Amino acid sequence: MKKKWLPYILVSPYILHFIVFVAFPVLFSLVLTFHKWNIISPMEYTGFSNYTKMFNDRLFWKSLVNTFQFLIIHIPLQIIISLALAEFLNQNIKLKGFFRAAFFLPVIVSGVVVTILWQQLFGYDSGLFNRMLVSVGLSKVGWLIDPNIAMGSIALMATWKNVGLYVILFLVGLQTVPAHYYEAASIEGASHWQKFRKITLPMINPTIFMVVILSTIGGFSLFIEPYIMTGGGPLSSTMSSVLYVYKQAFEYFHMGYSVTLGFFFAMLILGVVVLQKKYLERGED
Amino acid sequence: MINKQYIIVVLIAMTFWSCNKLNKENDNTLLYWSSNNMNEIEFTKHFIDKWNSEGTSKIKFQPIPEGQSSEEVILASVVGKTTPDIYANMWQGSVEMYAKAGVLVPLDTLEGFTEFIKERCSKETIKEITSADGHIYQVPWKINPIMTIYNKRLSSDFGLPKLPNTYKEYLQAGEAIKKDKDNDGYVDQWVGYTEVKVLWYQRFFNFYPLYLAASNGGSLVKDNKAAFNNEYAIGVFRFLQELYQKEYFSKERLSAGQDRFITEDIFTKWTGPWEINHVNKFKQRDDFEFDFFPMQVPENHEGPIYTYADPKNIVIFNTCKQPQEAWNFIKTLIDKEGDKQLLEITGQLPNRKNIETEEVFQDYLEKNPKVKTFAKQANYVKGVDNCEVIVEVFDIISQEYEACVIYNKKTPEQAIADAAKAVDNLLRN
Repeated sequence: MKKKWLPYILVSPYILHFIVFVAFPVLFSLVLTFHKWNIISPMEYTGFSNYTKMFNDRLFWKSLVNTFQFLIIHIPLQIIISLALAEFLNQNIKLKGFFRAAFFLPVIVSGVVVTILWQQLFGYDSGLFNRMLVSVGLSKVGWLIDPNIAMGSIALMATWKNVGLYVILFLVGLQTVPAHYYEAASIEGASHWQKFRKITLPMINPTIFMVVILSTIGGFSLFIEPYIMTGGGPLSSTMSSVLYVYKQAFEYFHMGYSVTLGFFFAMLILGVVVLQKKYLERGED
Repeated sequence: MINKQYIIVVLIAMTFWSCNKLNKENDNTLLYWSSNNMNEIEFTKHFIDKWNSEGTSKIKFQPIPEGQSSEEVILASVVGKTTPDIYANMWQGSVEMYAKAGVLVPLDTLEGFTEFIKERCSKETIKEITSADGHIYQVPWKINPIMTIYNKRLSSDFGLPKLPNTYKEYLQAGEAIKKDKDNDGYVDQWVGYTEVKVLWYQRFFNFYPLYLAASNGGSLVKDNKAAFNNEYAIGVFRFLQELYQKEYFSKERLSAGQDRFITEDIFTKWTGPWEINHVNKFKQRDDFEFDFFPMQVPENHEGPIYTYADPKNIVIFNTCKQPQEAWNFIKTLIDKEGDKQLLEITGQLPNRKNIETEEVFQDYLEKNPKVKTFAKQANYVKGVDNCEVIVEVFDIISQEYEACVIYNKKTPEQAIADAAKAVDNLLRN
């Protein structure tokens, strides 16, 4: 009898945690998508009105486009820079330990602190970047005040912040490539670029896949940077989907609507990640 | 084994007993939350110590718990049913939502409230705080009117003939002051600065007080419809748009760095009386002199110049078991003597009529002429319209403000019309 119950008792903390913090919130949120609720008043059933509103909400679709814009800039930039740095660190160079720590440092610094720091660097009149541009005779750039540039600036900052993590991942991937592959290729007269293309890239494909998935999920949850730096402006050009969901929930108290947006957004992320997985797996085959 | 069981039972019993004891203690004690401003904490502590030594009931005081904003903390406490009995720092715009949700005590049902409030406040203020259901859920307590601060030295250095009171004069001052001080081809001295961020509450320090000034205290929302699609709002958008177009204002978030009023890169700023202590504390030269004047108005403006009051009020939550006793305390907190102490300790103006001429405040105002300027302005102030979704109304205006004023993507007429249409849609739903 004792043996029969023991497994259940042992898994019960996880089951309890799952029910309280996962299953219940998800089910409650699903119910909420059919209601209007401002937290403090009773819920009001509204049928599919939140869904209809979502399809007609111009700003929500703009926030999705903005998020994809961010991903299009951020993911390739992240992969190229981190792979290049990992390749550099994989060589026999002096101060390897120092560079590894230096590249990783921004990852452990608080996102809020980094964002505030970059906000100062991006300043139009007094920011360091513009001062440097002016000092060499170039024009100032509206890093955060030009609607066409602001999202790119945020992507640049996010890349700087996260690149260290992906450098470590790529470094691990590079170190798993057997050295004799390169030796054989060298004997065959392969150039450095050919070795990189024909050996390194295929061998670290699982790492690339992981980096793409992690960057995509991380990129979809873009929030701190636009929240602090731009508030979603200028002209809603940095309004990310998560920031918009947050605004709906905690500025306007449209809980039902924000949950509807959240559900849709979660499904979208799932779809994108599944597509990426299929595409990259096909590449592996 | 028996001993272990015994210990567990005793521990559980002690826990229940101590909780019960705590509840009993709380039954006779009112919990009061103030803002976490240091001066206000000092004022409240001073006042509550006095009340507790003299009064029949006891008040327990604590500054509002830390959070991103006091609004968020209050909301969390309402949801968690952990609200204090009295909260003294409620933004007027939040009250209607809480009133509709039934979490506030209708104060006009309490004995002595109506008479007291009629004596303390003007008819306009009472009308402004009366909710849609006809009840009053808030006690008007203090205000921080928004005015124009200016640098006295720069005024004479630039040879301005007079203070720029109208749009035209302000734009002329903008042309006179605009300068590229370090010759890098970019302007770095401006007539003024106001926050460019699209956050809804930033409009309290630019669009809204200018709109109230131009419209003699007009409404944004009236009879559940947008009431700002008029010449005044359009005029304000045009005025501000011109300031940015002609580079009299900077589009950069200057507030993210050093205070540009203190570094003397800007001549004016739209701000409240809190700026007096701030500038005095951080000014970089002893001879730095500043003063205040009303918001700018159109050339053809007639009548007094209104502004935004930035009112903070007192409410009693319905978790309070002794609302009458709570009101008795509030009544003492905001009587003339209480208001005098508020003024002396915090430098904030009480929201009462005739503050400028009331005998009891004269001594302080004479010694603090800058505060007196605000006291004069206090005769012509307005809060926000009583509307459950006022935050969204300001957000809609902010979106159009950014598109028109900052980025010149729309004409003022189009931007205001679009904002009014969006607000009408919002109020209809």
